[in-house]
Amino acid sequence: MSAVSFIKDATLCEEHASHNGFLQSLDAKIKTISFFIFLLTAVFLKSALLIGLLYALCLILAVMSQVPLTFFLLRTWVFIPLFSFCIAIPALFSFVTPGEPVWFFYFLGVKFIVTRPGLDGAILFVVRVATSVSLVVLLSLTTRHTQLLKVLRIFGVPQVFILTVTMSYRYLYLFAQMLENILTAIKSRVGVVSGHPRGQKVVAWNIANMWNRAEQMNEQVYLAMLSRGYTGEPSVLTKSHPEYKDWAWLLFSLTICAMIIYWGYRR
Amino acid sequence: MVIIFFNYLCNDYLLGVSTVNEIIFELKDVHYSYLGKFPAICGIDIQIRQGERIAVIGANGSGKSTLLHLLDGLIFPDKGEINAFGMALTEDYINNSSSARQFRGRVGLVFQNADIQLFCPTVKEDIAFGPLQLGINDDEVRKRLLTISKLLNIEHLLDRVPYQLSVGEKRKVAVATVFAIDPDVLILDEPTAGLDPLTVRIIIDLIVQANKQGKTVITSTHDLHTAGEIADTVYVFSKDKRIVRFGSTAEILSDQSFLQANNLVHIHGHIHDDGSSHAHAHLSLEKHSN
Repeated sequence: MSAVSFIKDATLCEEHASHNGFLQSLDAKIKTISFFIFLLTAVFLKSALLIGLLYALCLILAVMSQVPLTFFLLRTWVFIPLFSFCIAIPALFSFVTPGEPVWFFYFLGVKFIVTRPGLDGAILFVVRVATSVSLVVLLSLTTRHTQLLKVLRIFGVPQVFILTVTMSYRYLYLFAQMLENILTAIKSRVGVVSGHPRGQKVVAWNIANMWNRAEQMNEQVYLAMLSRGYTGEPSVLTKSHPEYKDWAWLLFSLTICAMIIYWGYRR
Repeated sequence: MVIIFFNYLCNDYLLGVSTVNEIIFELKDVHYSYLGKFPAICGIDIQIRQGERIAVIGANGSGKSTLLHLLDGLIFPDKGEINAFGMALTEDYINNSSSARQFRGRVGLVFQNADIQLFCPTVKEDIAFGPLQLGINDDEVRKRLLTISKLLNIEHLLDRVPYQLSVGEKRKVAVATVFAIDPDVLILDEPTAGLDPLTVRIIIDLIVQANKQGKTVITSTHDLHTAGEIADTVYVFSKDKRIVRFGSTAEILSDQSFLQANNLVHIHGHIHDDGSSHAHAHLSLEKHSN
């Protein structure tokens, strides 16, 4: 049950995207382009300090967009160890990155030496991952997922593909809801958490059941589309055009990134 | 408000499309079965005229929804023929893009399950989907979007995602998606099932008004009170997937024993004001003598 709720919240919750904050007020396309520029800057910079500046900007943007800072930090720092520590920790030691020793310790009789280049490299890597993950999480938190999918159009993805993906996303919620109801119904009848073998049977039965329902619904949705004139080439309302504020934001983002990159090369 | 909306649509689209009393649908000995082995309707003969108000009633699984899907050209008979607007409604006819566009612009179906009808990411896009597919320009689509959303009081839902709506809101949006197309023929599959009384009222008023402006309304329903308000002619489906009887709404709905035999009313015990009690079948709000 809690796993279903977690997946539902993580993938479908749009609570922060509906707030009246700074990032939420920007055009989704322009916002995505600006975040892409930030990401590229974070990837190419070789100074942890300068990447840290981008991270600070990301935190300021989170506050301006009414995303609670503690929630945002928790959400991002859950993933950062997952992506970075496993790679960064071995790089600290002399057997991976030789150089000037900073500190050493013994473990199971083996001497582990932390080197200066290893430490610098690990810090740079962790800061880079932290900034990149934070930027992506902030973008997804402050943008409706359907708008994010539509942004794919700027990369030349065909409209029919985007329509299919947005529809799949829309029905994902419905199926998550169905699954939650089924599990609640099982719980209400069984009363206790079922054992491992029985649990496996319940999961298998649910997968088969959801598959059948999804297949039925797929056919009916297609009929509903045909009924309203769909012939294989979807037409959509012309998108809203970016306003001056959006262009100003893009210019600001480009300027900030150019300045940071310039400082990076001068150092 | 309802009148203004339909007058607005009628001025541009409805007038001159069909003459009143012209036969728009004709079904002759229509049979349909699912997977070729589960009969859904057997030997249906119906004639529907422009501007008629028709209700299709019957027990669960009697073939009502299948009939509506056949009328909307979504499925095609195994046997028999359907003529729509003077043309044979066949797979070839619907597969032709120009005739399909013409037909889809004239016939709109509100599905029983609103979750099937609302497949777009936002309510606004769902309402705009039909008119846009039919080649109506953006400005006109936006106008219709605003008018229909005001009419159904769903303006505040336009930017919402359909899965976040209540059952009643979903149903109103589903109705709006079809009204935005402005079809000549409105086909509604259980449009008021499971809704609160106010939403039922809004939808019934909308249907009644649409019919007054010349639209043909075909509704499948279990609710005999709703049928009384939105239909002049009732077709009753029996358990064996056939039309067992048709006639004026008043005539059919007053035949209690017939309705009871077809699972449309049930016998129940009740107590009168004077304290006497007895058991028999009647419509829930119908007044009757002891």
